[in-house]
Amino acid sequence: MLFNSFHFVFFFVIVTTVYFLLPYNKRWLLLLASSCYFYMAFVPIYILILGFTIVVDYFAGILIEKSTGKRRRLYLIISLVANIGILCIFKYYNFINTNFSFLLHGFGLSNPIPYLSILLPIGLSFHTFQAMSYTIEVYRGKLPAERHFGIYALYVMFYPQLVAGPIERPQNLLHQFREKHSFDGDRVFEGIKIMIWGLFKKLVVADRLGIYVDNAYSHLHQQDGMTFIMATIFFSFQIYCDFSGYSDMAIGAAKVMGFNLMTNFKRPLFAKSTGEFWKRWHISLSTWFKDYLYFPLGGNRGSVARTYINLMIVFVISGLWHGANWTYIIWGAINGAYLVFAIITKKYREKMGALIGLNKVPRLNLFIQIVVTFILISLSRVFFRARSVEDAVTVFEKMLTFKGSIFNDGTAIIIYCFLAMFMLLIVEFKREFYMGSFSFSHNKNFWVRTSYYSILVLLIILVGVFDGGQFIYFQF
Amino acid sequence: MMTKLINANTLKSFFLKLFVFVIIVFMLDRLAGAMLKNFYFKQQAGSDYLTTYVIDKTTADLLVFGSSRAANIFNPVIFETQTGLSCFNAGRYGEPIFYHYAVLKCILKRYKPKTILLSFDAGSFNKNQESYDRMAPLLPYYNDHPEIRDIVTLKGPFEQVKLLSCIYPYNSLLLPIISGNTAYGKQKSTHLKGYIPIADTFTGEKETIDYTKKTMLDNKKIAAYNAFINDCKKAKIPLYIVCSPYLINSIGTDASIIEAKKIAAESSTDFFDYSRDPYFTSNPRFFADFRHLNESGVEVFCNILIQKLLLPPVKYFF
Repeated sequence: MLFNSFHFVFFFVIVTTVYFLLPYNKRWLLLLASSCYFYMAFVPIYILILGFTIVVDYFAGILIEKSTGKRRRLYLIISLVANIGILCIFKYYNFINTNFSFLLHGFGLSNPIPYLSILLPIGLSFHTFQAMSYTIEVYRGKLPAERHFGIYALYVMFYPQLVAGPIERPQNLLHQFREKHSFDGDRVFEGIKIMIWGLFKKLVVADRLGIYVDNAYSHLHQQDGMTFIMATIFFSFQIYCDFSGYSDMAIGAAKVMGFNLMTNFKRPLFAKSTGEFWKRWHISLSTWFKDYLYFPLGGNRGSVARTYINLMIVFVISGLWHGANWTYIIWGAINGAYLVFAIITKKYREKMGALIGLNKVPRLNLFIQIVVTFILISLSRVFFRARSVEDAVTVFEKMLTFKGSIFNDGTAIIIYCFLAMFMLLIVEFKREFYMGSFSFSHNKNFWVRTSYYSILVLLIILVGVFDGGQFIYFQF
Repeated sequence: MMTKLINANTLKSFFLKLFVFVIIVFMLDRLAGAMLKNFYFKQQAGSDYLTTYVIDKTTADLLVFGSSRAANIFNPVIFETQTGLSCFNAGRYGEPIFYHYAVLKCILKRYKPKTILLSFDAGSFNKNQESYDRMAPLLPYYNDHPEIRDIVTLKGPFEQVKLLSCIYPYNSLLLPIISGNTAYGKQKSTHLKGYIPIADTFTGEKETIDYTKKTMLDNKKIAAYNAFINDCKKAKIPLYIVCSPYLINSIGTDASIIEAKKIAAESSTDFFDYSRDPYFTSNPRFFADFRHLNESGVEVFCNILIQKLLLPPVKYFF
């Protein structure tokens, strides 16, 4: 069930209404049943996989809490192996097998291991990571094991963030299922407003830009360099609006029912460095990797070289988390390299800035930093978007020619794309740099803010893309 | 129980605000929808203008239906010269059989053409969501043409709900509407009675398409094709189905063409299959790309087709 479908609208209205009509102590049951329905709307049978990890992690949590020493560690390992094992089978098995075949082929041997013909369960990486954070936190003693099986299952399955996050921490979410969320009209409206803005980002911006980007990448050899330069810029906006739009809808839907999910994006388009970008982009995943991988590896507490290695490990694994393809691994490695390069060159860049006087013109300095960060991130995303490394190389080769037209599919599409990006940038710019000033969306006057959201709804109906349009991050 | 869980005043205030929001959205939707409708039907150029013209105005004797392979290949001027019948090309880029059938229904409600040509494409019956999405150009006609409602609702399970909005039928049409109402749009319009010539000549390599792979056919598309034939029969309008040439090396035969031929034969409708005609497939200079003939190819193809249609017994056109 997609958030941008009527199926979801009906589902959401019914579930929310019944939720507020039920007594507090029965609500978890409704949320769990509706989350099961929500997940089963994709591929029903995959609920069994989810059920398996829930059972394993539920008991692992209790056993970890009860035991000490090696046994405690053993239960954690069992839980992690179960979660990562499922991830490996469904997401990485064929990728590993393909590379194994390639390796054997180099020695003139054939690979006897068969390929699996299976679909990747929707949002597997998201709920696996969320489940893993629970057992790790219990192991670390920061969280008591959840004894209520239904509440624990709901923590993993809570439908607003089940398939594409935010990847919640148990400390933030678990207790909320026990809290009494009474009906609050203002909070409900606040949630609906967040959902409307998310829907706008998805339908008006992301899916519109997606038409241009998909056209460019699906006819790779017929496109010119300028088309790919445009597609690279558009893809950065597309993926941001697609994913943050989903997050907004998840956060908004949860808010309507009284749940606070973590912020997942903080206007990453305005990041001044690649380091800052990762503090603003997919925050729930970045912090997950920081807490459960980067710090356990030693973080920046060891030598400088060790810090660089740790960063590279984290970003390569982050790339692999996104997909079983060398393109994602390279994308992760490039972003890790950006960070390493930024640390190495920090002093020199500062000296250079002072030398040419950029520090004296802070606005220009800020603008240059934002643009350079955007370009670097966008270029790395060519690997993220391309189907293969060869395709990505072709795109770079074509881009470097700077030839051809940007109108790969008529002028109307590109005008819509620019208009959509312009509307997004106006709102984001205002929120980034003029937060406290006049606002339509949070105006004190009821009529002003209601009119603003009414117009937003009409714009969605008028220029939104209603046909197709899965969320990009569902595949991860 | 409800009063315990929800404060009555909070609920009252919430529903009041919700009501105001819905009313504002409703009023703005009606207002903007009315304006868009007005300008949509005032267009003087563009694909939507041609659809409106075909549905509401044309009285041509001979009508050509189909996708881009109809719009780019059947030149009405050649047909008019050779047959003496007035002709209009109602083809529209990328449109599936649902669209053609809906337009036919609108036309039959208004008048009875003397002859109809349906251009058929390889893969027309293949299952894909895109064909349903492509019915969007019919949405502006939904309210005023009840005869097409059962076809339009195939677009999706919630189409009737979406159509409660007056803006939705004009979704993504803002720029075409502006263009169609300006001199710029008229200047850009290059059609000749619906026919859009292509001057380019194909320079690439011929592709090989393997039709032996199993393809899922869409029963709804087949039903629409059947209905198209039956409606022509009921109205006693001679119908000719034509599959124009492709510049490809094909392995096997397209499953849609096989099915379409079978249905045509069962209903005694002529099906002219030029998809693999050696005269054309060996002449790349007749093509703009592997699917579309260019102007010189159109000239040759239309004349060949007309000669075939004029062969005795002269049942065609008259």
